[in-house]
Amino acid sequence: MTLAENIFENLRLELRRGCLTLAVLVQLRHEHYGYTLRKALAARGMEIDENTLYPLLRRLEAQGLLTSEWREEAKRNKRFYRLSADGEEIFGQLLKEWNDINTAITNLL
Amino acid sequence: MEMLDRYLQAVRRHLPWRRQDDIIAELRANLEAQLEDREAERGRKLTDAEMQAWIRQFGSPLQVAARYQPQQYLIGPELFPIYRFVLRLAFGWCAVIFLIAKTVEIVGNGFPIQAWAGALAQLPWVLFVNAAIVTLVFAILERSGVKIPEGAANGAPTDTDWTRGVASPFHAALDKRRKPKTYAQAVIEVISGWIVLIWLLLVPHYPFLLMGPGVLYLKVTPFQLAPVWWTFYWCVVVLNVAELTWRIIDLLRDRWQESHLARHLVKQACDLIPLLIILAAPGRVLVLLKNPADMTHASALAQINLWTYRGFEAIATIVFLQLVWTTGRMSLEAYRRRLATAR
Repeated sequence: MTLAENIFENLRLELRRGCLTLAVLVQLRHEHYGYTLRKALAARGMEIDENTLYPLLRRLEAQGLLTSEWREEAKRNKRFYRLSADGEEIFGQLLKEWNDINTAITNLL
Repeated sequence: MEMLDRYLQAVRRHLPWRRQDDIIAELRANLEAQLEDREAERGRKLTDAEMQAWIRQFGSPLQVAARYQPQQYLIGPELFPIYRFVLRLAFGWCAVIFLIAKTVEIVGNGFPIQAWAGALAQLPWVLFVNAAIVTLVFAILERSGVKIPEGAANGAPTDTDWTRGVASPFHAALDKRRKPKTYAQAVIEVISGWIVLIWLLLVPHYPFLLMGPGVLYLKVTPFQLAPVWWTFYWCVVVLNVAELTWRIIDLLRDRWQESHLARHLVKQACDLIPLLIILAAPGRVLVLLKNPADMTHASALAQINLWTYRGFEAIATIVFLQLVWTTGRMSLEAYRRRLATAR
């Protein structure tokens, strides 16, 4: 990897990091377990590596933005996540921030 | 499936033990669902080679488990500038103290060349241990989640509430006297307290750390210290441990900027204790003869004991007067503050 490619990759990852959280919060307005969430995000163009997504879900839950429950589905126990009340509020604020940034960048371009 | 089980077992070994079962159960459910999808796409079970390739793409068990750890670094970006600053400071002072102590020791032994070589060879190890201690302290601070205010890394005061200074001339003067301690200062206090404690504990084994070249005189002098000095010494050690513990607790509880008037008074009062121990020495004897039968030094001994004791009386008086002065000043300040609030 050349230096320019390396710099681009670092900046890309930095840019993506915050967007991933927002994407997960958007998608978890409806209940999902890890794998179906990953598939739903990928189907809408937001591919997330499982090693990133599953720990992210736990971190968001630890921060109180998500709630989870173990439930049996298709004869298998799965952990289902969805936005908590606090999560909904913070999601609203983040979405506004995202839209503001998007508008600002569009204006700048 | 067996391969997946073995993989999950390997991941489990690197997970925090309290959450192992929960994380592995969730990971298993997600991976098994993914595996089912793959098998459904192919209309058959995966071969061993396909299974191996599929599992390999998740990464090593250690890497997977590491993502579930709450903290991925020893010292984070917030603390790191202060860590680097303190490390440089501790390195410099440690090298200076070590070289001075070694020089005194070597001069006392008649400048053997091997001793110089030994000291220089020892220096990197001493610096390494010093760096390890500083790193350990910062790693503990990082794990404790201590919050670092903006500007702490530059050594700048963190109290940005400038309006208090212009509220009234009285408060402006008071605030100027009580300039808030920066985080860097608080950390340096803890580290220097730690170094002083180690130095104190080493003094009985290496008296030159306290007396320098005067240690040579100890070998030839007919006098020795009375046992009361051991009580005095351990009292000083205990007071240093207590103060250091207090400072560490303040750092961990994010309260290093608070001024504790009562604590300041208690500390001054405690400083009197070792002095009182000396003043309560039986028969006011602080120095003894190595050979009690040797009466040729009896009058010198009496003079040494008399003047040492008087010296301690003077020091104790000064410390006591300081305590009275501080108590009076603090009471007055408290009274003025009360008046100002009442207005």
